[in-house]
Amino acid sequence: MVDNSTNTIQQLHAPPKPLVVYGAIFVLLFLPLVISTPLATEILIWAIFGMGFNLLLGYTGVLSFGHAAYFGLGAYSAGLAFRYLDAHLFVGIVAGILAPMILACFIGALAIRKRGVYFAMISLAFAQMLYFLALSPLKEITRGEDGLTHIPAMALFSFSLGKPLPLYYFVLVITAIMLYSTWRILQSPFGKLLQAFRENEERAKACGYNTTLVKFFSLVISAFYAGLAGALNTVYLGYVPLTTLFWLTSGTMVMMTILGGKGTFLGPLVGVGVFLFLQNTISLITPRWELFVGSIFVAIILLFPGGIMGTVEEKIAAYRMRRASK
Amino acid sequence: MFEIPWNVIAMQFFFGIALGCIFVLLSSGMSIIFGLLDVVNFAHGTFAMLGAYAVFVVVSLTGNFFIGLVSAVIIVGIIGMFVEFILLKPLYGKDPLLPLLLTFGLSVAIPDLIKIIFGLIGKPVNYPEALSGIIALGPVIIPGYRLFIILFTLVAIISLWLFLKKSDLGMIIRASTRDSLMVQTLGINVSRIWTIGFAIGVGLAALAGAIAAPMMSATPDMGVDMTMTAFVVTVVGGLGSLGGAIVGGLLIGLVVAFTAFIAGEYSSVSMYFCMALILLLRPRGLFGEQGRE
Repeated sequence: MVDNSTNTIQQLHAPPKPLVVYGAIFVLLFLPLVISTPLATEILIWAIFGMGFNLLLGYTGVLSFGHAAYFGLGAYSAGLAFRYLDAHLFVGIVAGILAPMILACFIGALAIRKRGVYFAMISLAFAQMLYFLALSPLKEITRGEDGLTHIPAMALFSFSLGKPLPLYYFVLVITAIMLYSTWRILQSPFGKLLQAFRENEERAKACGYNTTLVKFFSLVISAFYAGLAGALNTVYLGYVPLTTLFWLTSGTMVMMTILGGKGTFLGPLVGVGVFLFLQNTISLITPRWELFVGSIFVAIILLFPGGIMGTVEEKIAAYRMRRASK
Repeated sequence: MFEIPWNVIAMQFFFGIALGCIFVLLSSGMSIIFGLLDVVNFAHGTFAMLGAYAVFVVVSLTGNFFIGLVSAVIIVGIIGMFVEFILLKPLYGKDPLLPLLLTFGLSVAIPDLIKIIFGLIGKPVNYPEALSGIIALGPVIIPGYRLFIILFTLVAIISLWLFLKKSDLGMIIRASTRDSLMVQTLGINVSRIWTIGFAIGVGLAALAGAIAAPMMSATPDMGVDMTMTAFVVTVVGGLGSLGGAIVGGLLIGLVVAFTAFIAGEYSSVSMYFCMALILLLRPRGLFGEQGRE
């Protein structure tokens, strides 16, 4: 009996089976058949953003309330490269990844040592700093409130990404790569360390691990995902809205991740899907969707802090436990 | 470089102090809540926004601004009590990030509720007649209302300080901030102290919102900027320190006022630069205790 229960706990925290990864990618292949292709593309982009955010919040236990900084900087870097330098698709995306990673190094060096709530406040303040910089002092290049427009349509090997469906499958390939990489990161010794810190930072420290350094790397990797998502968002929209840097973008990411289940492998994907679907549906009925989304979020915090996937995993574990004890 | 007359500089200084006073009220509330409950109140600016709307409603009903100020504090304080009692209490002792996330959810939902009730457009609040004039101190010209803000904040902060230092309840609050378990052991209902402390904290936020309302009028989305300012002041002044909230608030007020004067487009960014600078030079904030951050 004792052996069985430890087994279930291990199963609960074990990385998902390969079937889950391939199954998720397989399901995503047919997403445009169920919902509109642009919405499906948006879900994929935010899912990439969410995977990185979940790595930091869910697996490392660090709450960044300013992830819009990385997403927006990625979007702007790619957009500026496309617009002013006529950059190739991949060059723009790489620019969109590198700039946020450098920013993450800077913010991480300044603030990652702080305890949780303090880091959340500081990261939010830095994101606001970027927002106001893009809004007014740098408006000569960022075009301020109008957002960065006139970004040429992208092509991949003379294959236009201007149409919704080719773009969806292009983003899907990248999503699949990132999903697979996330899975591998979680299985690596580094991934195990992240989870060890989340469970008990003091103990990990006592075991001789440099927790600050690992948290720092987790932040930088997370910025990689956010920047990639931001750059893809620029390709998808064909312009960069100023809202990519807005605090509500960070907040939305937090809500999506908690909704889906922080620290679960499929949580970000599920959370992003449900959130964007809800947002699209509610905003058809009333422009005041934030009231509903905010209230739902408060209810989830109070009643299901594990989110959708967390609750599902708990139920499965409890079921297994009951069966094992019989 | 052209010469700026000293009386213009004195006026900017004065504006900065008046702005800083609003920040002081805002962040001292945040500081009390954090010190006592260990909760970073993301909805702090949202409560300030509620204070501004409360003053708008009461002023349009009674026509008296001062009744408006007092009732804003009481109304928002009572709302705060309910929020703490119903929503925050179940989260104590769990993941310390949960209260932050919950108050964040409130800061998303409540402005929309206000938009439904009062509409999208902000509500102007008139200056009280007695304070709408201009006061000239020699060549320095000062709007009467700003002088009122400074004097009023001075009175409010001194009474807060006296309350915390001298009254029984204040002493219990300070003791609970230091060691709530010990206070509990002495037979005091700490849970009730937390509710009161939260109400005082958001009441101060409401006061900040209410007193700022005539200058910027009450708008549904004013809360986020105020929360952000409170965060910056808290980081600059040091987390959970009342003295830090006062000095940090005045400092940020001066920085914003002078950048608005010298380089207008940088006025919103300047306080974040100030924060980054403090983080580099003195990571725990001006008055922060070592190790609390």
